[in-house]
Amino acid sequence: MISEVQPSASGASTDAPEAGGTRTFGYVAVATLLVGLILGLGAGLVVPGLRTPGTDSVEAGFLRDMSTHHAQAVEMAMIAHTGSDTPDIITLSADIATTQQGQIGYMQAWLRDWDLSPTGTAEPMAWIPGSDGAIVNGLMPGMATPEQMAALRSATGKNLDIQFLTLMRAHHVGGVHMAQEAMDLSDNEDVDWLAESMVTAQQGEIQLIDSLLKKAQAS
Amino acid sequence: MSTPGPERVPSTVKVGKTTGQGKPPAGGPGASRPAANRPGGKGGAKGKGRKPVTPVKVSGGRNWGPIAVTGAVILVAAGIIGWGVIASVQGSKPWEEQVAAIDGVVDYRAQKNAAIDDRTHKEGPQTYVTNPPVGGAHNSTWQNCMGDVYTEPIANEHAVHSLEHGAVWVTYKQGLDAAQVEKLQAKVEGKEYTLMSPIANLDKNVSVQVWGYQLKVDSADDSRIDDFIRITRVKASMEPGAACSSGNTTSDPVPAAAASAGATG
Repeated sequence: MISEVQPSASGASTDAPEAGGTRTFGYVAVATLLVGLILGLGAGLVVPGLRTPGTDSVEAGFLRDMSTHHAQAVEMAMIAHTGSDTPDIITLSADIATTQQGQIGYMQAWLRDWDLSPTGTAEPMAWIPGSDGAIVNGLMPGMATPEQMAALRSATGKNLDIQFLTLMRAHHVGGVHMAQEAMDLSDNEDVDWLAESMVTAQQGEIQLIDSLLKKAQAS
Repeated sequence: MSTPGPERVPSTVKVGKTTGQGKPPAGGPGASRPAANRPGGKGGAKGKGRKPVTPVKVSGGRNWGPIAVTGAVILVAAGIIGWGVIASVQGSKPWEEQVAAIDGVVDYRAQKNAAIDDRTHKEGPQTYVTNPPVGGAHNSTWQNCMGDVYTEPIANEHAVHSLEHGAVWVTYKQGLDAAQVEKLQAKVEGKEYTLMSPIANLDKNVSVQVWGYQLKVDSADDSRIDDFIRITRVKASMEPGAACSSGNTTSDPVPAAAASAGATG
C-alpha cells in the first residue's frame, strides 16, 4: 500500500511548489487509507454482528420465540396423533408435528450459525414493537395454558378432536401473526423465506381445521 | 455572502431583546461584523493558510510530525481492534466455561464419573450418586419438560432423561414457602426445555441442574439461578434437537423392572 501511494504523493509534489506540505498530505493520506483498511478488515473479521444478526435483533428474537411457539404445536399435534381415532386428524397432526419440528431445526441451526444462544433473556416477543402485555404467564398469543394442555391429554374421541382443532386454530392464528411481524420487521432473506412459508401453510391449515371442526361438531 | 449577514442580524436582534438591550441596530452591527468577518477569515485560511501552517511543521521536524501522527492513529486503531478481539472472544466463550464460572456450580462432567456419564436406558428404579441426580442411566420415557410445573415429586428416572434432552430441572425442598415456589415457577412457565418439581429430602432450598452441572442455593431470589438457566437451557443437551414434549406427565414412580429385563438393560 505504502509503495503504491507514495509515487502519487511524490507526483503531486512536482506539481506543487511546497513539497513539504504535499508530503505531509501524502503521509496523512496513506495513514488514513491504512487505518481505514485495518479498521474495516478488523471490524469485519472481529464483529460477527456486522455480518449476521445480533442477539438483540428481530431475527434472533423471532427464531427463538417461534421455536418455543412451534414446540407447543408439536406437543399438541403429538397428543392428537397418538390419541385420535379420526384419520383426517391423525394425518393433519402428523403433518403439523413433523413440519414444525423440522422448522425448529432450521431456526435453531441459524442461531447456531450466527454464534447466538438458542435461548434469549428478553421477554417473549420483545422484538415486536408494542408487544408489551401480550405475554400472559410466559405464554405468547395463541399458546395453550397448562390447564388446556392437561385437558387435551385426558380427552378422548370426538372431544379430543374438537379440543385439538380449537387449540391448534388459535395457535396457528398467533403463529401467523408473529410470522407476519417478522416479515415486516426483518430483511434477512432466510428469515423472511421461512416466515412467509409459515404464514402460507398455517393460513391454509386454518381453513382445513375449520372444515374438520364442522365435521367433528356435526358427527 | 450577503444573505448570511442579514440572516444573522435578526437572530442577534432577538438575543439583544431578551437580554434587555433596547436597540437592535446597536447589537446588530456589532454582531454582524464578526459574523461577516468569520466566513472571510475561514475562506482566507483555506486558501492562504496552508503556506504559513505547513512550513512550521516541516521546519519543526521534517518526517517526525507525519510519522508521529500516523503512528498514533495506527496505535489507536490497533487498540480498537484488540479490544474488539477480546470482547468477541469473551462473548463467545463456550457455555460450559460460562456455567462453570458461576459461583457454586458443581461441574460433574469434569469428574468423569461413570455412574453419572451413563446414558443407557434401564427399566425400573435406579440409584443416583447425587441428589437430585445430574446424569446416569434412566428410563426410556422422559419427563415432559415443556415448562411443566409438577407440584409433587417426580421420578428421577424420567427427569434424568429430560436432562439428557437439554432441559433445566428446577427443584426445591418440598414444603418451601409458597412465595418462593411462585418465584421459581415464573422462571419456567412458558419455557420449553425446563421443568420444575419438589424433592422431599433436598439439602438446600433450591437446586437447579442440567446434565452434568448443578447449582444449589438457599433462596429463589438468588440471581445465579437465572444465570444458570440462561447459560445452560437447550445448550446442555446431549442429544441436540431431542424434544421435551411427548414425555411422561404424571408424578408416579417408575414401575419395577421385569424380572428378566434387568440383565439386558
